[in-house]
Amino acid sequence: MIRLENVTKSYSTEVTALRDASFDVAKGEFVFLVGPSGSGKSTLLRLMNRQERPESGDVWVAGRNINEMPDNKVPYLRRNMGNIFQDYKLLLNRTVFENVAFALEVIGRPAHVIRQQVPAVLDLVGLGDKEDRFPHQLSGGEQQRVSIARAFVNRPLILLADEPTGNLDPATGEGIMKLLDRINATGTTVVMATHDQRIVNQMRKRVIQLDRGVIVRDQSRGVYE
Amino acid sequence: MISRVRYVLREMWASMSRNKTLTAATVITSTVSLLLFGLTLLIQRGFDNQLEQWSGGVEMIVYVNNGADPSQVQVIQQELLRNTTVVASAEYCDEACATKVAQTIYAGDPDTLQRLLPKIPSYFKVVPVDKSNSDLLRSLKDSFRGLPKVYDVSTPDQAVEVLGQLQGFFGVRTLFIAVGLLGASALLIWNTIRTAMFARRREIEVMKLVGATNWFIRLPFMLEGLVQGIAGAVLGGLLMLFVNNDWTNGVRAFPAETGLEGFVVTDGYPMWVWGAMILVGALVGAIGSGTAASKFLDV
Repeated sequence: MIRLENVTKSYSTEVTALRDASFDVAKGEFVFLVGPSGSGKSTLLRLMNRQERPESGDVWVAGRNINEMPDNKVPYLRRNMGNIFQDYKLLLNRTVFENVAFALEVIGRPAHVIRQQVPAVLDLVGLGDKEDRFPHQLSGGEQQRVSIARAFVNRPLILLADEPTGNLDPATGEGIMKLLDRINATGTTVVMATHDQRIVNQMRKRVIQLDRGVIVRDQSRGVYE
Repeated sequence: MISRVRYVLREMWASMSRNKTLTAATVITSTVSLLLFGLTLLIQRGFDNQLEQWSGGVEMIVYVNNGADPSQVQVIQQELLRNTTVVASAEYCDEACATKVAQTIYAGDPDTLQRLLPKIPSYFKVVPVDKSNSDLLRSLKDSFRGLPKVYDVSTPDQAVEVLGQLQGFFGVRTLFIAVGLLGASALLIWNTIRTAMFARRREIEVMKLVGATNWFIRLPFMLEGLVQGIAGAVLGGLLMLFVNNDWTNGVRAFPAETGLEGFVVTDGYPMWVWGAMILVGALVGAIGSGTAASKFLDV
């Protein structure tokens, strides 16, 4: 589903975020990207959804080299990817329903599809009864669930999560991980950057460890270390 | 399709309502610049009308010396009408008639009238057959000047020349100002759209991440600029019609002898100008917002 071949990314002559990174992620796999802050986890995710382009090497997603993809095709690539962030990136002036519907609306889904799909995904994340609330009326965990609902409402092939439990307490974080695990069980590939040791050790999924932009470990059913 | 149209209109309206002050400033600037643009076209048209009227209705005034007796006036008239292939008519206006005309023209300026009245000469109003042949008119003027008891001969060619110069002077300058203001409008629209995009950067970021195309994101902003340009043109057009109406009433209140009625622009031309203003307003709005939306939206 995702393949990186000798990918190097620098932000300046002095800062190399990623150095010669190569790995494959199979369809339906759940992968943790671990490592300290600044190790290159977020850069990897940004390369996968073409928010960044590498200096050298290739990034393949669903069989296509996305570095060679023309700019006008990138939105269609992103429709097959959901993005989850540590700070949720919810629109504060829109309700829960509107936040999730927004993801469908901007890709031109008709109103009747939106009316059908949004309540279904809100039920899936356990917020079926809070669709009229605004983000500030929700807890951090609930806001992250809205973010997951928005990322998953279009049934993407891949879910990219950048520290989704970073702002949450352990119990709430656990709930979020259960939700991501359920989504992964539907066949969606999940790539998640984290430095939450407890979660990684509990889930026992594939772990790719980075250190100063270099992949130092790639272990199936791994732990944090 | 309908949902997309609804989305674009809704977002455009939301953005305009969010930046009310900036939107108002942009529309006002567009209004003023397009008003000036429209008035420039009307001024040009007024000068064209007046020039056409003056050069088309060209006539010579042959002034007769004060104190010329009727027989001497008769001689002048015979001389003027001697060559009917050149002169179409020669109508005499005696001192009483000339005084009456002066009283009408200078009705609002009694001081000048008082200075002129004692020495107002009688005159012949001569209409040449071929009004377009300026060489012939000049030679006629010279030959009439040599007639006995003729004080002077005047033709409107000097006035036409002055009017042409005035047209060039005002036309070019008002056009430059209008173009400058249109540029300012485009920049203001550009800035409004940039501000609107900055205010909604979080939404734009989410839109890009969920796969909205750049055109889909741009469209409400571009439409916003377009609407601001058109709104400025519509308001500017209304103001232009008001100014033109006021001008028309003012000019029509002048005495007919002043010959300024050519400056009145009617015959549907102001509506045509309004249409041109809307087109230019839309163009300025589209260029301003289109460049801003493209510049600040990377994949």
